Amino acid sequence: MKDISTSILKIDNEEKANGSAIYVSDITIPGMYYAKTIRSTISKGNIKKITLPEMPENYTIVDYKDIPGKNVVKIIFEDQLIFAEDKVTYYGEPIFLIVGPDKIVITELEKQINIEYEEETPEFEYVNSAVHYNFKKGDAKSAFENADKIIEYEYITGYQEQLYIEPQGIVVDIDKNGKVTLTGSLQCPYYVKNAVLQALDAKDSEVRVIQAVVGGAFGGKEEFPSLTTTQLAVAAKKIGKPIKMIYEREEDMEVTTKRHPSKIYMEAAISKDSEILGFRSNVAIDAGANIGLSGVVLSRALIACTGVYTISNLEVKGDVFLTNTVPNGAYRGFGAPQMLFAVEMFMHHIAKEINVDPLELRLKYLAKQGDLTSTQGTFNDPIIMNEMVDKAMEISDYKQKKIDFAKEGVHKGIGMSWFLHGCGFTGSGESTHINALVKLRKDKENKVHILIAAVDMGQGIRTTMKKIVSKILDIPMDQTIYNLPDTDFVPDSGPTVASRTIMIVGGLVARAAKQLKEKWVDKEDITVSERYKQPEYIKWDEENFVGDAYPAYSWGVNIVEVEVCPVTFQVTLKHVWSVYDIGKAIDERIVMGQADGGIMQGIGYGYLEVMNCVDGKIAQKNVTDYIIPTSVDTPAMETVLMDNPYPLGPYGAKGAGELTLVGGAPAVALAIEEAIGNKVFNIPVTPEYIMELIKNGKN
Amino acid sequence: MVKNIIPTSLNEALELLNDRPFKIMAGGTDLMVQRRAWSQTPPEFIEDVLYIFNLEELKYIKEDKGFIVIGSTTPVEDLLHNDLTPFLLKEAIGIMASPALRHMATIAGNIGNASPAGDTLPILYVLDAIIVLESIEGIRELPINEVITGPRKHVIKQNEIIKEIKIPISVYTDSVFEKVGGRKADAISKLSFTGAVNIKDDKVLDFRIAFGAVSATILRRKEIEEKYVGLTKEELIGKVDEIVNEYDPFIRPIDDQRSNKEYRKTVALNLLKNFIITL
Ligand SMILES: Cc1cc2nc3c(=O)[nH]c(=O)nc-3n(C[C@H](O)[C@H](O)[C@H](O)COP(=O)(O)OP(=O)(O)OC[C@H]3O[C@@H](n4cnc5c(N)ncnc54)[C@H](O)[C@@H]3O)c2cc1C
Repeated sequence: MKDISTSILKIDNEEKANGSAIYVSDITIPGMYYAKTIRSTISKGNIKKITLPEMPENYTIVDYKDIPGKNVVKIIFEDQLIFAEDKVTYYGEPIFLIVGPDKIVITELEKQINIEYEEETPEFEYVNSAVHYNFKKGDAKSAFENADKIIEYEYITGYQEQLYIEPQGIVVDIDKNGKVTLTGSLQCPYYVKNAVLQALDAKDSEVRVIQAVVGGAFGGKEEFPSLTTTQLAVAAKKIGKPIKMIYEREEDMEVTTKRHPSKIYMEAAISKDSEILGFRSNVAIDAGANIGLSGVVLSRALIACTGVYTISNLEVKGDVFLTNTVPNGAYRGFGAPQMLFAVEMFMHHIAKEINVDPLELRLKYLAKQGDLTSTQGTFNDPIIMNEMVDKAMEISDYKQKKIDFAKEGVHKGIGMSWFLHGCGFTGSGESTHINALVKLRKDKENKVHILIAAVDMGQGIRTTMKKIVSKILDIPMDQTIYNLPDTDFVPDSGPTVASRTIMIVGGLVARAAKQLKEKWVDKEDITVSERYKQPEYIKWDEENFVGDAYPAYSWGVNIVEVEVCPVTFQVTLKHVWSVYDIGKAIDERIVMGQADGGIMQGIGYGYLEVMNCVDGKIAQKNVTDYIIPTSVDTPAMETVLMDNPYPLGPYGAKGAGELTLVGGAPAVALAIEEAIGNKVFNIPVTPEYIMELIKNGKN
Repeated sequence: MVKNIIPTSLNEALELLNDRPFKIMAGGTDLMVQRRAWSQTPPEFIEDVLYIFNLEELKYIKEDKGFIVIGSTTPVEDLLHNDLTPFLLKEAIGIMASPALRHMATIAGNIGNASPAGDTLPILYVLDAIIVLESIEGIRELPINEVITGPRKHVIKQNEIIKEIKIPISVYTDSVFEKVGGRKADAISKLSFTGAVNIKDDKVLDFRIAFGAVSATILRRKEIEEKYVGLTKEELIGKVDEIVNEYDPFIRPIDDQRSNKEYRKTVALNLLKNFIITL
């Protein structure tokens, strides 16, 4: 085989193009029932009385009283109930399921249900802090005391909806011994399995989770399916029938997790000779009605508080606020997009305030190998950002455009963001929480089975993992087998999240393949396994946020050119250029797919995608009202990958999944800022907001 | 049980409509969304459905006695590729919905739906389109502004069908349709602006303006337009602020999930102003 980066056809191209791929909604099991969720219609209050219609034979409701184990969804922080009991905390909170064989009958029954509430005043503001973190680096106190000038701004970011094409869906089956099998659209088979085990109070062998082909996820199928699967498993236990539950689009958009809205307050201490002495930042994220993963999202945001820059003195704090709104959760980037938007805007706003060219200021503080990170860890590996920035400026003709666009009467702007993304779980999560195990099994026909729980949700893992194994073992691709994960057959290699799959799981798979190569005996059944070991030099103090927050970082530069119509304030994307260091691409075209999709999702977050919660209800709950970019909105895009192999990744690969999203919003916001000549503080930068800025904004 | 009927002729359709209440469906691109139900269950129609999209006899576009006449089941995509279709109508259709939708959507459906954001409507208003309604009792011809009476309200009777749309042939030296949607394709208008003028020998012979989605129905004020007929181009441009002020009180948009009042109003007036000063 040639260089590992040389593109090959994705192995699922054909089944997806010709329609033979089996998604969860394609699955039917003889005698299958359907489930519909009955939800709270208020934002906060007590359930006084539930009046049900006369239930026909074979129709039943399933609620918290039916849960054999604990009424809580097992995720990192256990405060999400499977079904509400006597009170509700957000509009759309699940109270019970109606289950039965005919959807029309279920719809009729649903109309006859009456739930009486005693309403309480809901909280929609950032007042109830449920998690607070803070940490320091250097001596921010003296930095601010000695400052000649303090610059402060607040940055606000909105919701973002994953808007995977395929909504949430699960099918459960139950056998005569009571073993439940859940097949669904999900990212983390073992999160689901563990959640269901706890809810059913079952033995390990009584729950099986199988991934169906996933039609997009973006983090939206990280922790959320743990809720729907536990509900269905409880229902199957009660009724003893296979049951299917597929969300409708509006239901999906109203009640599933989204990117956390945030408010980020930044302060910089500036010396007489225009040095940045230190930063103080205060981050608030809106968790919705329960904490779930929000603490982890917050910590990733806080750790990114200096972006790609080295700032010596820091005081960082942040809170997760509970509000009576739909719970927020994982979304590609996981707290970093909010923070990187704030940091990139802030660096530009500081430069303007102290009259320095933003490019010069940023270059001066750009992190170098050996520098201390925001948490006093060390950037151990080479950083090639200077070359990347040069390359990006060269291919976009950045400097000339800056000059041209500054002229009177030109409504164009060009914005450049620099960013990094920590690969893998934050801190020591990989070793303490996940402890990934992978296996390779060679059967008697010399076929090699890749046994991992990693889910291909379009990002190409089924292709890239096979590529790694076949290259190391020097066998053809079709001699490797990677079936959709099934917890009865694959070990827990961890969730498919956090840009960890190629670097961590792929790294373990590569090591296992090398082991297998050594032990290879023709026509013999051999199984090898590898377990994650934290590199010795990585140290992390979770309590105090001190040490190496991530084993490695991927880096990127995005440049976006826009034109803003002076009559309608609408933004037209003209061109996008990107340069990434992801170590080494395992397949160039697959990475380009991530790059094109990721940047449009990031730019969409920055200028287009409006989602508001009005009186506790999501106002944009269908694809007509929630606007994401179409192909007509998408400009020409140019992407350059620069090799910078990471010694512990397979062939030097690092994470690529989230990196391509996180720089989009600041790049487009900066381009718009330049086009209109007013500072931008909020995303999305909609025409409505641009109009307001032009009327009353700051230069 | 709701019945779905596919008539084979216009006459059969008219007879059926005279017989009992039906919901007429043309392309269904509004109706199927509005009546959606849980997947794999039938859409939520409470009345019988008369599916007229297959009526070939109403699929036409032709020129007749000074009018362009469009049969009511003609999908808008066909109009996009026909030389007879007025320029402004093509402009509106070209950025309506998405290609797949345009092969089903009809102008009659846009009228029947009577949304203030319907994109072909401001064009029909500006071009003084006549809507031809037919029932077993005969034919009524009404100007578009008398057919639509409010958001989702119209005067089409239970036994009537929109047979065709008649657009008087007219000439303009300058005309624009500006749709302001949330994105460049497949978006419902936040607002729209339509302007058309005919200036000959430096004299304004015709001046027409319409706004979409800024009031309960499409906004067109003939009494304002008439004031400016007869001016020179320079004079018209010189009166731009006055014209903007004339329209100001009639532009009364709402706040909703797609935009807000201030934006809709500011941009509507900006577009008007921009149209005039760039003539
Ligand atoms: C994804 C999407 C995007 C869209 N984008 C746009 C857009 O950009 N701009 C826009 O204006 N609209 C848009 N629409 C709305 C819709 O496509 C248009 O309103 C279209 O013109 C409706 O035509 P139809 O034939 O499909 O109407 P139908 O849904 O069949 O009917 C609509 C109404 O008109 C009545 N009706 C239809 N034909 C007749 C007749 N001959 N006589 C009497 N009554 C009749 C029906 O009874 C019904 O009340 C969009 C819709 C979708 C789903």
